[in-house]
Amino acid sequence: MNPVEWYFLLAALLFCIGAFGVLARRNLIIIVMSLELMLNAVNIALVAAANFIPAAAGKGTLFVLFVITIAAAEVTVGLAIIIANYRNRRSVKADEYDEMKG
Amino acid sequence: MPGGDFHPVFFSIVAAWILAAGIGVVVSRSVVRAAVSMVFCFLGVAFAFALMNSALLAVIQILIYVGAISVVIIFGIMLTEPQQGPKPKFFTRQAIWVAPIAVAAAVLIAVVLLSSDLLSAGETALNPDLRGTARLLFNEYVFPFELVSLVLLAAMVGAIVLARKDDGR
Repeated sequence: MNPVEWYFLLAALLFCIGAFGVLARRNLIIIVMSLELMLNAVNIALVAAANFIPAAAGKGTLFVLFVITIAAAEVTVGLAIIIANYRNRRSVKADEYDEMKG
Repeated sequence: MPGGDFHPVFFSIVAAWILAAGIGVVVSRSVVRAAVSMVFCFLGVAFAFALMNSALLAVIQILIYVGAISVVIIFGIMLTEPQQGPKPKFFTRQAIWVAPIAVAAAVLIAVVLLSSDLLSAGETALNPDLRGTARLLFNEYVFPFELVSLVLLAAMVGAIVLARKDDGR
C-alpha cells in the first residue's frame, strides 16, 4: 500500500464510525457531531488525494476550504432547527419526532 | 524534503488518536463527554493535515472546528440538555442492524483499498504553499469563493430566524 491508501483507509474508517453514530444514536446533538466526523473523514481523503496524487495537486486544499465553510453553515442551521424543535417538544430524541408517521 | 514524505510512525499515532476519539463520540453515554471526544478528534484531524504538509488547513481546522463549531455544539448542549428518566436509551432500535452494516462497509472499503493498485501515487508531498493556494483561490475559483460567502450569510439569517423565540408576531 502506498501512503495515499493508508490515508484513504483512515478516512473510510472514520466515515463508517460517523455513519454508525448518525444511524444508531437517539440524541440529535450527537447525530450532528457524527455528521461532523463524516465531513472530517471526507476532508482527510481530499487532502490526501491533493498531497499524493499529482493530477489532484492543489485542488484538494481548496475543496477542503469550501467543505469546512459549508460545514460551519450546516452545523449552525442544524442546531437552530434542533433548538426550535426542543422548544416545541422538550426533547432532543430522534425517535420522538413522529408527527409525520403514516 | 521539508517534511513532505510519509511518516509511518507519526501516521499510526495520529490515526489511532482520530479513530479512538471518533469511537468515543458515538459510544459515550453523556453528551458532554461526546463533545469533548469530538474536540480531540478534530485536533487529531488537524495533526493529520499537518502531517500531509498542509499547514494552512491545519490552522483553519483548529480555528473553525476546534474553536467555532465545538463552541456552537456545546451551546446547543447547554440549551437543550435535560436528563429525563432514570435509564434513558442511548441507541435507536435499528442500532443492532446498523452496527454490522457499518463494520461490513468498513471491511469492504479496506479490502478494496488493499487489493487495488489503481492510483499511481508518489511518496512525495505535492500540496502547494500558501502562495499557490491563494493564486488558485482568487483566480480560478473566485466565483465559488464569493458564492460560499452568500451561503454563509443565508445560514446566519436562517439560524437567527429558526432559533428566535416566537413572541406572537
